[in-house]
Amino acid sequence: MNPLMQHDQQLLARIGLAHIKARERARQRRQLRVALRFMAPALLLVGGLLLLPVLYNIWLSFTQWQLFEGRDDFAGWQNYIQLSDNPYFDEALGNTALWVVASVLFPLSLGLGMALLFRRMPGQEWFKSIIFLPRILAPTAAGVMWYYVYAPQGMLNQMLGVFTNMPVETGWLFEEQLVTPAIILAFVWQSCGLVMVLLLLGLAALPRDPLEAARMDGAGPWPLFRHITLPLLAPTLLMVVILSVLAGFTVFDLLWVMGANYPQQRTLSLAVFMYFEAFQKNSWAFAAATAVVIGGVVLAVTWLQTLLQARADRMVR
Amino acid sequence: MQNLSPQELAWIATARPPTPSPLRWGKTLCGLALALLWLLPFSYVLLAIFKSSAEYAASAPLSLPASAAPLLDNIRMAWEQAGMAQAMLNSTLYAGIGAALAVLLAAMAAYPLARMRFPLRNLWFLLLFAGTVFPFQMYLIPLFFGFQWAELLDTHLGMCLLYTAICIPFPVLVLRNYMQNLSLEIDQAARLDGASELILFWRIILPNLRGPMSAVFLLQFTWIWNDMLFSSVLGNSPETRSIMNALLVFQGSYAQSGPNIMLTAAVLASLPTLLLFVLLRRQFMQGLRVS
Repeated sequence: MNPLMQHDQQLLARIGLAHIKARERARQRRQLRVALRFMAPALLLVGGLLLLPVLYNIWLSFTQWQLFEGRDDFAGWQNYIQLSDNPYFDEALGNTALWVVASVLFPLSLGLGMALLFRRMPGQEWFKSIIFLPRILAPTAAGVMWYYVYAPQGMLNQMLGVFTNMPVETGWLFEEQLVTPAIILAFVWQSCGLVMVLLLLGLAALPRDPLEAARMDGAGPWPLFRHITLPLLAPTLLMVVILSVLAGFTVFDLLWVMGANYPQQRTLSLAVFMYFEAFQKNSWAFAAATAVVIGGVVLAVTWLQTLLQARADRMVR
Repeated sequence: MQNLSPQELAWIATARPPTPSPLRWGKTLCGLALALLWLLPFSYVLLAIFKSSAEYAASAPLSLPASAAPLLDNIRMAWEQAGMAQAMLNSTLYAGIGAALAVLLAAMAAYPLARMRFPLRNLWFLLLFAGTVFPFQMYLIPLFFGFQWAELLDTHLGMCLLYTAICIPFPVLVLRNYMQNLSLEIDQAARLDGASELILFWRIILPNLRGPMSAVFLLQFTWIWNDMLFSSVLGNSPETRSIMNALLVFQGSYAQSGPNIMLTAAVLASLPTLLLFVLLRRQFMQGLRVS
């Protein structure tokens, strides 16, 4: 083969390759057009009603907008500085922190205990359904129920009266020290079911070989649980923890209903504080800044979850 | 044997010898105590809705009602004073249209994301998926003024649009995963036969997704039914209120004539989703599994 011919062939090959590449690009463009047609309604709705508002909310948080004034006046970090000086905000932040801790600790420990307890019990379907039932209620409806459970003449005081043999008339939802723990109890009642069901799904999906092997080696129930079941369950546990953190961090409906008559309602949580500032005091920019703070924490937790989840999955495999 | 699920078969295969009976009795007692504790608030509510207002005020919360007759009166008063007829209608509209439309549009969006190759595919997916990441607090103020500007505030159309939008991202994630697991060979065979993408999607992909689609539909329906926040900000007129918002407004109003009426209203508002759960428990649990 002479060199000239070889050159020709290389040229031909290159032209062929370019041709294929161009065709592939045209095909991809065609595919993109078809794909966009399929995705258009979803993109429009999500973009217009969810993502655009988020951007607008961030912009608002840097303005001075209140009722009737300051809509386009740039304020820099002023709203955020005001936030850190606001005593109500500090208290709301503290209560939200309490909510996060409690909404992980109690549902997780109770849910895990119940999952292990009900796992092999006859009639477990009944038990599971009963514990899960409160979860089906709207938080608003559950809040109304518990509002009257906690009423001065309500169920709880009556039962305490029977046990202590004295008339009890505590206003559980009106006293500073009691209101948050009382609402947390209602929250735990509602959320244990979901945690339990998710953990049961996780337990059912565990590989059986390691457990069997350890049992053959004569491991007792506690070491078996501590060293085999718990590590294998880590990805599910992580998911449940993150879910609980986010639920506790953004809790609103229960607080808005049950704390309706609490004088310092806006301090009950960050979400309540934000709603109060926006829709009762019309401090739009200030409330928008609060929303950005809430969003920032939620994004950080979500980001942490993706990091940890990858690690937990790798650990199990 | 045929009625046993794989899970049950596995359980039978690995069943351990029965635990010693005192321990088992202890566990059963423990379970019973927990179940009773969980049912206690329900029992209080179920007793209260059978009492007249005078009877509720005079009797202890956990005492038995004198007769079942006051229930009808309570229902009538709750229904009328809370404006429940309109609110139930509104919530049925929002939850039905919102969830159905969201699942359909999500399936449409998931189709190319799962089964076609085009530039920046992951970016498009992330854009849709971002709708699940932000807390609702970030939407409220812009939506309130956006709806005011577009004259969608306190309209059924506005509420339906919002609920549809908010319910799209999660089903996209779920349905995309399911579509990725369907074999690609059906597509290729259908494309060789000259089927367009739309026909492929409608005739072949959608019928294969009935299970997961009904599962996510149920989850989204329940979520919209139970939502109070968006209705209280964007649709707070008596004509457009959702059922849970109507319940909240009723509790704050002076018209309500006492806890027994209020609790009856709460039970009425929860009844539809409770019934759905009791009837379709399997689909609910499948919905949890897919998520």
